[in-house]
Amino acid sequence: MANLQDLTEAVIKGDEDKIKLTILELLNAGTPAKEIMDDGLIAGMNIVGGKMETEEMFIPEVLMSAKAMSAGVEILKPQLTDEENAASGTMILGTVQGDLHDIGKNLVKMLMEGAGFSVIDLGTDVPPAAFVDAIKEHNADIVAMSALLTTTMPKMKETMEAMENAGIRDQVKVLVGGAPVTENYADEIGADGYGYDAGSAVRIAKEYMTN
Amino acid sequence: MTTICSNQQALNSPLAKKLSEDQCRKLYWACLEILERTGVQLFEQEAVDLLKKAGAHISDGNRVRIPAGLVEKAFATAPKKITLCDRNGKRVIQAGGHQSYFGTGSDCLNILDHRTGERRQAVLKDIEEGMKLCDALEHIDFVMSMFLPSDVPQETLDRYEMEAMLNYTTKPIIYVTTEFSGCMDAVKMAEIVAGGPDALAQNPVAACYINVTTGLRHNKEALQKLLYLSEKGLPFTYIPSAQGGVTAPITIASTMAVNNAGVLAGLVISQLKREGAPFIMPGWGGNMLDMRTTIQPYADPEKRGQAIDFAHFLGIPTFGLAGCSESKLVDEQAAAEAALTLFTDAIFGGNFVHDVGYLESGLCGSLPQLAICNEILSWLDAFMKGIEISDETLCLDLIDEIGPEGQYLDCRHTLDHFRERWYPNLFDRSSYDGWQAKGGKSLGERAVEDVDRILQEHKPEPLPKDIAKAVHKVTEDAESKI
Repeated sequence: MANLQDLTEAVIKGDEDKIKLTILELLNAGTPAKEIMDDGLIAGMNIVGGKMETEEMFIPEVLMSAKAMSAGVEILKPQLTDEENAASGTMILGTVQGDLHDIGKNLVKMLMEGAGFSVIDLGTDVPPAAFVDAIKEHNADIVAMSALLTTTMPKMKETMEAMENAGIRDQVKVLVGGAPVTENYADEIGADGYGYDAGSAVRIAKEYMTN
Repeated sequence: MTTICSNQQALNSPLAKKLSEDQCRKLYWACLEILERTGVQLFEQEAVDLLKKAGAHISDGNRVRIPAGLVEKAFATAPKKITLCDRNGKRVIQAGGHQSYFGTGSDCLNILDHRTGERRQAVLKDIEEGMKLCDALEHIDFVMSMFLPSDVPQETLDRYEMEAMLNYTTKPIIYVTTEFSGCMDAVKMAEIVAGGPDALAQNPVAACYINVTTGLRHNKEALQKLLYLSEKGLPFTYIPSAQGGVTAPITIASTMAVNNAGVLAGLVISQLKREGAPFIMPGWGGNMLDMRTTIQPYADPEKRGQAIDFAHFLGIPTFGLAGCSESKLVDEQAAAEAALTLFTDAIFGGNFVHDVGYLESGLCGSLPQLAICNEILSWLDAFMKGIEISDETLCLDLIDEIGPEGQYLDCRHTLDHFRERWYPNLFDRSSYDGWQAKGGKSLGERAVEDVDRILQEHKPEPLPKDIAKAVHKVTEDAESKI
């Protein structure tokens, strides 16, 4: 008889097949989908996140867990109420205008998805207006912006201003990151948070959803 | 266990050389000329008698001139490879050629106490903790005592050292003894652990470090140890300590010629005593005295490399010297000198490389410095590996499958192979914020924490109680004779 502990362990191991099988068994046994999500899948990814921060798990292993977790979420989604689905959070993600770098941004995407977020990835070289449009369209909870160049960092500020002007700044939490970005810069442009790496970005985003 | 080995053609690993073959030959002929023309002084009658019988010329009682042919003959029987075993008889060290192994030095008077930061006289407990640390450090392949214990009877301190090494680590040992009797007692202890004289000769767990006064002056104790160990077929180093500018001419070539003439004299005596005696020669050449301070420098750049080339030319395993520093602290100088000296011995291909973790030109030791050296050796272990260029490692199919737009972060191949790449343990690779989040500590501070953690967590495999008791009896017997 499968239990939530098995599911948590399968997430840590990144064992996609085991995750799918265990979820089906749990659903058949009458375990509520919300419980499977929170106490199985998300509990597992929380452990993975911790292990990543202490450098016990490496990025490829974390991604394996994240991918396997996403496969599990796909099975659970139809079983969850709209409200329960919304609770995990919607995120708009992109590299700001003029900047084509996407490795860090893609890493954030995979880890956010692994953490249960539904991520709308706008790609690279994203103009301020595109961020604004996406926030409105998807009723997003969080906007995450990335920049690798000191020359493109000012586009973060412009994007912030575009959100202000559109009157939607207060609807979302804004998270920024990328090599030249600092906590101070985040404060300066009025962002809500700064992630110094992908793992810390996920941790902050999860805090926003629980508060 | 380190797997550093330079000059591996199959994988084309890194290799350095300083002397050409012709230069080595010229140096070798200089040694032969010194032995034939000037000769050596031997302060042990049995050695003189052995050489006389073999055809050497004796004058003034102990001045011996050795014909070149005797040296040539000795090379025919001296082993090119020397095995050392761990305490359980596993043949973990096969030293010779370009295969490098690394270990601590012996007998530092002082320790830079990592708990207090104070420099103080070393005690027996420091040796025990040092051995425990060595036992845990992956890239320390053999041990020497590290410290000189000030809190035990000084006449028998070498017995305490040997006992501590045997009790606190299973790694192979290179021991130093003050007198000849200490050498016999160390062998006695090793025989108890190995299971008798034959078992020890077949699977030696320990080698002896013999120092000789100078290349041309061989003290009694050194020759006694050489003869005793040769007869037993047990490995030993034979290291004359001629100092350029004092007991040998100041030039590197000349110091090496004088010193190695003495090495070759020792080699001949050992092979006359017993053909096949396992003999180890110095892996540094051209010692000097710092003419400003009278300190003998350990991390001296000029004495490095050429002696290893010369030993490769002769085909005799070397006793190298690296991972050491003249610095008084675990500081930037200590890290730089340790790294540079370890690097040179690795890339030249020295064999038993000792003195890892030494500070203050051999007068002080530090456990965190040893932990830092272990990290440097981990780096070198990765650096010295050759690169495999094959269909499998090129994985062109995968490149085509992923294409220009894809990425490899979450593909199976990355997951299967990323652990093969080198990752630091003590060296920090975090982002600035990540490093700060971990306390923003320096390498030295992290090394202290690492040492504390290891000393707390690591439990070396103990000697069986009856064996430990029998080993301790050797110390007690030696003490009762004082």
